[in-house]
Amino acid sequence: MAELQKAEIVGTPALDGQYIGEMDIWPFEAPEFNRIYPFYDNLRAGKFTTTKCKKCGHITFPPQVICPKCWSDELEWVELPQRAKVVTLTETQAGAPLGFEPPLILAWLTFGDKGPLKHLLGRIIHCKEGELKEGDEVKFVTFSVPAHPFEVKKDTKISDRVFYAFELVK
Amino acid sequence: MAQTRNAVIVGGGTSKFGVRQAHLLDMIQEAMRACADDLPGLKPADIDGLIIATTMAGRHSSALNTAPLVVQRLGLSPTSICIRVDTLCAGSNSAIIVAKGLIESGIADVILVTGGEKVYMPQRWETNYTQLAVNDHDWDSAMGLGVPPPFFAMIAKMHMKRYGTTKEQMAHVSVTNYGHGEGHVNGHFAGRTLTMEQALEARIIADPFGLYDCCPLSDGASAVVIASEERAKAMSDRPLVYLRGTGQHATHSMSAGWPGDTLAEWPHLKTAGEVAFKNAKLTPKDIDIAETHDCFTISEIIELEELGFCKKGEGGAFVASGEIGLNGTIPTNTDGGLLVYGHPFGASGARQAIEICKQLQGRAIHQVKDAAFGLTHNLSGTCAQHTVVIYGKEPVK
Ligand SMILES: [Zn+2]
Repeated sequence: MAELQKAEIVGTPALDGQYIGEMDIWPFEAPEFNRIYPFYDNLRAGKFTTTKCKKCGHITFPPQVICPKCWSDELEWVELPQRAKVVTLTETQAGAPLGFEPPLILAWLTFGDKGPLKHLLGRIIHCKEGELKEGDEVKFVTFSVPAHPFEVKKDTKISDRVFYAFELVK
Repeated sequence: MAQTRNAVIVGGGTSKFGVRQAHLLDMIQEAMRACADDLPGLKPADIDGLIIATTMAGRHSSALNTAPLVVQRLGLSPTSICIRVDTLCAGSNSAIIVAKGLIESGIADVILVTGGEKVYMPQRWETNYTQLAVNDHDWDSAMGLGVPPPFFAMIAKMHMKRYGTTKEQMAHVSVTNYGHGEGHVNGHFAGRTLTMEQALEARIIADPFGLYDCCPLSDGASAVVIASEERAKAMSDRPLVYLRGTGQHATHSMSAGWPGDTLAEWPHLKTAGEVAFKNAKLTPKDIDIAETHDCFTISEIIELEELGFCKKGEGGAFVASGEIGLNGTIPTNTDGGLLVYGHPFGASGARQAIEICKQLQGRAIHQVKDAAFGLTHNLSGTCAQHTVVIYGKEPVK
């Protein structure tokens, strides 16, 4: 009997295939779970956006609920540049976290000195290992990521999701 | 606030660091046992405060409210403070700053600062996966930024490009630290040696890093006792080691907030160091020994620059000229550091403090002659925060 149990019960049967939000690699994008959901709506429309303070004019990234310079909560959505230059990069073959297929190519991007966003770490997709070089130009690109369920009263809804990365301008 | 009395570090110990067949709470008990061996006069009832530093406990040990678990396992009954702190890799160094303030102000008399992590899970993938939750999850982590080597590899590339730092210079850090790690039996890589040839020929982890340029992820725990001067005198007749000055500087949580011109400049560390030196009424020239956060060889090089031990951009040549060795101008990571002793995040700051304590008391394994002032430094996360603590055989006057 003891041996039978050992063979039949493996893992966490109590969870019975449940979605585990705390293990999710993507953000909870639905309006029910954050106040910056327009960022994700804008991604769906192909726009790279963030919040700008109406009081002091400061543009911050990522988007926020209050301005980190003056703490005003009067913010508006503005578009960010969609093209950047590769300052340096790193390519991971082994050891990429589950959910990120190798080669995982990460680049330190610069958007130029005049822009509101000086530098940003970006994943470069649709790119072969060894293809990306320092100084290359990359552009913003969006894609869908797995949806997740969430409860609204007695119903279970599905939150469709989107995210962004960058790809080489050829 | 006027300082009414001095805080000192009395002693401490670590568990064995490594890939351990042990629960987090087992390793914290081992660290307590090692601490008790270091301080034979210490009894559970002497300790009136507990600070436990850990990051992974909630996720990896299902221990979100960690402090009461430690109270139970160590037989403590704290009356002044009983908290968990989490600043990732700087956890127990942050805890030491908190303990200093509580003791100097008279709120606590004797605080046990312990830190520990259970990194390795029943299945290895979970360790890398959890790393997504220690960065800014919805932003940098969603780009795939998890384990540290890729980010620090970009830092190394920038430092090589801007300042001419070489792989050979970086290898001097790992070879030196392997020499220093000799004899530290609780270290992750205890008993191992490293030659320059082995360092340079090692397999690549993330270009330009070979295997020995990267510290391991370790399971492990450490524990130190921070006490008022008078309680310390009652507990031990060793020379007193005072907590002179501290600084902790945080500027951002994700890449868009990076404070440097490029990845090779760490102005936030420079500021943390300046704050600590000012509070300690010392300058970099006064420091006899340093324990810096050598998560990667390039980290130690940049830290020596930003802390003012050498000029900006000259860290590579500085480490290659032997200045971080036991007879150099600033012997660094004399217990092997993160590269050799290992890195259970929340345990590392206290592990560094133990080495400084022993050096200043003249009882270190690789003793630096007449060491009177020491410094510890941790960075946290993807180099988002810096924590510095300065110790001395004399208090600030
Ligand atoms: Zn504002």
